[in-house]
Amino acid sequence: MTVSSVVVVGGGIAGVSTVAELRKNGYAGELTLLTVDPFPYDRPPLSKDYLSGAKDLESIALQAPEWYAEQRIDLVTAASVVALDPDAGTVAISDGRELSADRIVLATGGHSLWPSIERVVREPLDSPAGEGIPRSATGVHTLRSVEDADALRHVLLPGARLLVVGAGLIGAEVASTARKLGSEVVLVDPVDPPIAAAVGAQVAAWLHSLHAVHGVETVTATVEKLESTRAGVVAHIAGQTEPRTFDAVLLAVGMVPDTALAKAAGLEVDNGVVVDDHQVTTHPNVLAVGDCARRRGHRRAEHWEAAVHDGQRAARTILGIDPPAETARWFWTDRYGLHVEVVGKMRSPDADHQTVVRGAVGEPPFSVFTLRGERVIGAVSVDDPNAVRAARRMIDRGVDVRASDLADPGTDLRKLLRGSR
Amino acid sequence: MTGNSGNGGNSSGIRVASLDDIPEGEGIAISSKITGTEDDIAILRDDDGTCWALNDTCTHETASLAEGWVEDGDVECPLHSSRFNLKTGKVDGLPATVDTVPHRVEVRDGEIYLFPGERP
Repeated sequence: MTVSSVVVVGGGIAGVSTVAELRKNGYAGELTLLTVDPFPYDRPPLSKDYLSGAKDLESIALQAPEWYAEQRIDLVTAASVVALDPDAGTVAISDGRELSADRIVLATGGHSLWPSIERVVREPLDSPAGEGIPRSATGVHTLRSVEDADALRHVLLPGARLLVVGAGLIGAEVASTARKLGSEVVLVDPVDPPIAAAVGAQVAAWLHSLHAVHGVETVTATVEKLESTRAGVVAHIAGQTEPRTFDAVLLAVGMVPDTALAKAAGLEVDNGVVVDDHQVTTHPNVLAVGDCARRRGHRRAEHWEAAVHDGQRAARTILGIDPPAETARWFWTDRYGLHVEVVGKMRSPDADHQTVVRGAVGEPPFSVFTLRGERVIGAVSVDDPNAVRAARRMIDRGVDVRASDLADPGTDLRKLLRGSR
Repeated sequence: MTGNSGNGGNSSGIRVASLDDIPEGEGIAISSKITGTEDDIAILRDDDGTCWALNDTCTHETASLAEGWVEDGDVECPLHSSRFNLKTGKVDGLPATVDTVPHRVEVRDGEIYLFPGERP
């Protein structure tokens, strides 16, 4: 059957990538993109330049406003989908309308994980009190949307006291941005160093040490209790005898995929909407992409580029054309003016793996590679992004390299790569 | 090499570098003070040896495309890997959404000449 109508639910990077890839590959049928937002926008700046105020909402739009009309995409904004019927191929929207399509793509993203910290609201920071007070009124924030970022920015004034719970990518980025804005920051994480599994222990330890250099107090502990009072949020940090009061708390401990629609529709859900290697869910007319989805046998990536690739793969599945080439996972993060990129898997040195440092850890630009035998399987760079671009191609193409060549900053990585072609 | 063989316009271009100055797969930035354009211009050498010129600043965030990865007809931004077509300046990969501006370059006797503001 030729597909002549597609509805994409969700206007994040995965949803926008899906519609873009459909049109790019000649899809001429009806195409609808539903988003709860005023327009599709990019989320990585929410913890960085948008939070700091360096960028406004218009400048983080995922596409120019006129693009949707040019691409003949029916962009429906401020719309949430309340029900999905896979057999009928319909979605019911909050405004009462029902849309039908040959294929439905779920790109519903996720929401912030609320950790199991005991929370007590004694007095809200803002009146009125009572049930259903917005989260910001309790002084406890999460960061996932523009609204979340606006609420957080509102309190990140010079001298404001911020507690960040979780020192992963978002927690660390917000700590950095908050320092730039002049706020006082305490960063709590039970793991030291955080993100070692993603960037390797050596780089993780150095990255974490940057917080203290920039005036952030880092605490290796859990937070046991948060009490919202009129004076601020009182945090009980494990191992500290006195509770401490903050103007705001950011919970940055991870995300939960938004699977409610899929679950209610009877699709298989297991830590994400389960999809096959073509992004197809357990119903052939419904696909899922980005943070809401999990490929069977894989972990959820939760990274920006992975969502792009999901969208491209889904579009090509719908069109019956070959998927894009698989490539090693890649992400970036920025803190304290440093640009960090990571590709593939970083592993601790053991019998099978060695760690190769190019330059010196702690003296940017530098990069660190993980090798299994003569194969690169992962790399991290700090202010040296082309090292990661070279490493990615080495991984994707299965290039053999010598550790001594990689370690020598005088070696042109492009030449190492080219020598193999 | 690239660009029109004729002398478009009434100038013979600005000599900006020798071919040997730019390894294949890399680029250099030419200051707007020299080019007379609003933005600096990146001279980019594809891995097949051909030379191209684009506005240097990525249209997404402030990064120099001359420091990017040049391969297979595209330059990849060093910050977020937006990709631009070397010949047309068109976006070939997000997050950038706005095309950049290509300029004409010519290689004569191993020297690179830039024609700021002229289309390739």
